[in-house]
Amino acid sequence: MKSRKALWFWYSLLGLIVFLTVFSSVLAPFGSNEMNMDEVYSAPSGDHWLGTDHLGRDVFTRLLEGGRVTLAVAGGSVILSLIIGIVYGGISGYLGGVIDTVMMRLLEALITIPSLVIILAFQVFMQGGMWSMALIIGLTGWLVTARIVRSEFIRLKEAEFVKMAKMFGTPVWKILWGHLLRNSVPAIFVITLFNFAAAIFTEVSLSFLGIGIPPAIPSWGNMLYYAQNDILIGAWWIALFPGIMIFMTILSINFIGEAWKDPERRRVND
Amino acid sequence: MISVSDLSIQIHDKPIIDHVEFTIPRSQITSLIGESGSGKSLTVSAMLGLLPANAKVSGEVLYDGRNLLSESDQVMERIRKKDIFTIFQDAANSFSPSVKMGSQLYAFSGGRVGDAKDVYHMKMHVILESLGLSLGIVEQYPFELSGGMLQRCMIACAFYVEPALLIADEPTSALDMVLQKEFIELVTSLNKERGTTILLITHDLDIVAEAAHTMAVMQRGQVVETGTVEAVFAQPVHAYTKRLLASRF
Repeated sequence: MKSRKALWFWYSLLGLIVFLTVFSSVLAPFGSNEMNMDEVYSAPSGDHWLGTDHLGRDVFTRLLEGGRVTLAVAGGSVILSLIIGIVYGGISGYLGGVIDTVMMRLLEALITIPSLVIILAFQVFMQGGMWSMALIIGLTGWLVTARIVRSEFIRLKEAEFVKMAKMFGTPVWKILWGHLLRNSVPAIFVITLFNFAAAIFTEVSLSFLGIGIPPAIPSWGNMLYYAQNDILIGAWWIALFPGIMIFMTILSINFIGEAWKDPERRRVND
Repeated sequence: MISVSDLSIQIHDKPIIDHVEFTIPRSQITSLIGESGSGKSLTVSAMLGLLPANAKVSGEVLYDGRNLLSESDQVMERIRKKDIFTIFQDAANSFSPSVKMGSQLYAFSGGRVGDAKDVYHMKMHVILESLGLSLGIVEQYPFELSGGMLQRCMIACAFYVEPALLIADEPTSALDMVLQKEFIELVTSLNKERGTTILLITHDLDIVAEAAHTMAVMQRGQVVETGTVEAVFAQPVHAYTKRLLASRF
């Protein structure tokens, strides 16, 4: 009972964050790049709820806009990695045999390389906007998904209902889609949630290092990057609020993912 | 109705099934009995044309004068769809966990013989009621039903399809004693009322004694003894059959 309440708290928190960022253009009181040199580094007040930064831009506005960018990059990359992961893992798991062995060895080889290294290498020749960022994170984030899909497919293709479907000549695509993929959804959903949290973290880390989202576009990582100097002169609010947002978002996604991992709790009506 | 003769199966050049011969007489319950790994299920796979790709098979499975081992895939698919119904060991795994029972029952019964939904509904409702299943189960998911109920749903589909041959592959090993008995009663009633030929694969001699008319005993890929149940039970010839009978409770 207690954990159920806690879960609803994390659901609402994530829902609130998503709501605020999705409707940032309506909710934000200022323009995200609207500079006001008269109000540089002003502390949180009635005018600027979360203060302003070194160019006099409203931190609250940039927080919402930045959240939209960060979540969009993470979301886009997760969709991409989901598709690649399902296709790769599905082929490997369903076909089995030599193909499976080759594909899995290749996958293991890729997993041994820290994805941050691959991302850095990609960034060198793909320096671009937020969507190329999503592309890069997506291209490096599908490995675990593929593994999970493969193991689910291997487990399910031996199940008796799949044997029965094969026995009376169900087309392969129907077995793949209606039986194997459909019954893998819970596992895929959980791993995708964790991937989403990881993608947010990757975007933030890269932007924090100054090699992520271009400076003109606000994102949570970018805000932290610029806040590094501002902290030294005591403007704590510029770093604190994006930090809290990142922290709460990743935390709530992880808690929700953990809850969904446990099949007992998946059913809402008991 | 089906006679298996000189059936041998090799996987990776290792003989798994070795010159197996037995017949399944029409309108009777034939039991294939043997320990796990004796090749019962593989024999059935061969009869259904569902052997793994790396298996080499020789011999004959004659069904209504046709050798099933040399039929084309299309013919086999039609036979598997219309003539033969298979019930597997674990009914809980025979239904996809994420699909409601209604559409799965249709896929296993009306769908495979090509009946329209309204025909199916009329026919199926009668069958479900006669098996003591409430109509509400069509709105439920498999995990909401018990193993016995799921096995009865399978039987309901078999009643619907009215196959020429019903193959039950260890159908009772996941059920408790009461449900086992109930299941065997249903199978024998299917045989009595509609004359369905049944192949009952099991390792449980009590079930054989209860239900079957003829039996074939398998051990290590060979059929070591065949005959009517009474004859084999009264006078087992092969040492393995004697041991099986001696180990009965």
